[in-house]
Amino acid sequence: MNDLDDLFALARAEEPSPALLAQVLADAEAVQAKPAPRRSHWRFLRVLLAGAGAFGGMATAALAGVWIGMAEPAPVAAVTEAFLPGTVDLLPTYDFLAEE
Amino acid sequence: MTMPLDTLADVTDEALLILYANGDGAAARSLTLRLTPRVLAYAARMLGDRAEAEDIAQEAMLRLWRIAAEWRQGEAKVSTWLYRVAANLCTDRLRRRRGVALDDAPEPEDGAPSVLQGMVEADRMRALDAALASLPERQRQAVVLRHIEGMSNPDIAEIMEIGVEAVESLTARGKRALAAALSGKRAALGYEDV
Repeated sequence: MNDLDDLFALARAEEPSPALLAQVLADAEAVQAKPAPRRSHWRFLRVLLAGAGAFGGMATAALAGVWIGMAEPAPVAAVTEAFLPGTVDLLPTYDFLAEE
Repeated sequence: MTMPLDTLADVTDEALLILYANGDGAAARSLTLRLTPRVLAYAARMLGDRAEAEDIAQEAMLRLWRIAAEWRQGEAKVSTWLYRVAANLCTDRLRRRRGVALDDAPEPEDGAPSVLQGMVEADRMRALDAALASLPERQRQAVVLRHIEGMSNPDIAEIMEIGVEAVESLTARGKRALAAALSGKRAALGYEDV
């Protein structure tokens, strides 16, 4: 039905009133004038590290690093001893972490 | 109020939205001029009521302004997002309207002979709105998005959150029903002279 296409074209030609455009623009300017909501640092870090999975992995690795540094299990101690003979124990009070 | 022409015609909606979020006034004007007519036309056909459609257009645009600072680039088209917001607002209105007396709905003036072309066009728009109102809401939505807003089927599928085949089916059935609803009014709408 060509009449239908004619009606569709008529509907497309309908223009917003200047008052509506002015109101929409006034809203835009009012929202723009407000300070943008602060983004949380955690969200930024998560986006930076591409997702929670990577974030969890990094956290686990960091904790493991701290534990290995503190406890210094025998295999690690052997390597440390080979490279740095006579290493000074900087944190003697944390030796209990290595005890079984 | 006079509006300057859209000088950022080549810039995408998304780029304009980012510019807007960064405080660019020209981007706000461009987006207003570009998107308000589209969302207004959609709401006007969905609701068949110009004043209500203007409310919806303003509200949908306000939500766009508010989301601008947090817009995630590349996830959705701005126009698709906006139509979805407008669609939800229209659905809410229609649902609320169903609770009100149906007699309050505007009736098309049937067969009134009009001399001026402007009146003929007004009659035709009323007839189109009445015919659209007789369609089920989803059919009406698909027909308006396809044939008046000129959107692609994949975009409509995204807005309506259905498959492309479902969109094709809805638009085909909707257009047939619309043609049937209008067929009895051709003479009244002055189409027999054309």
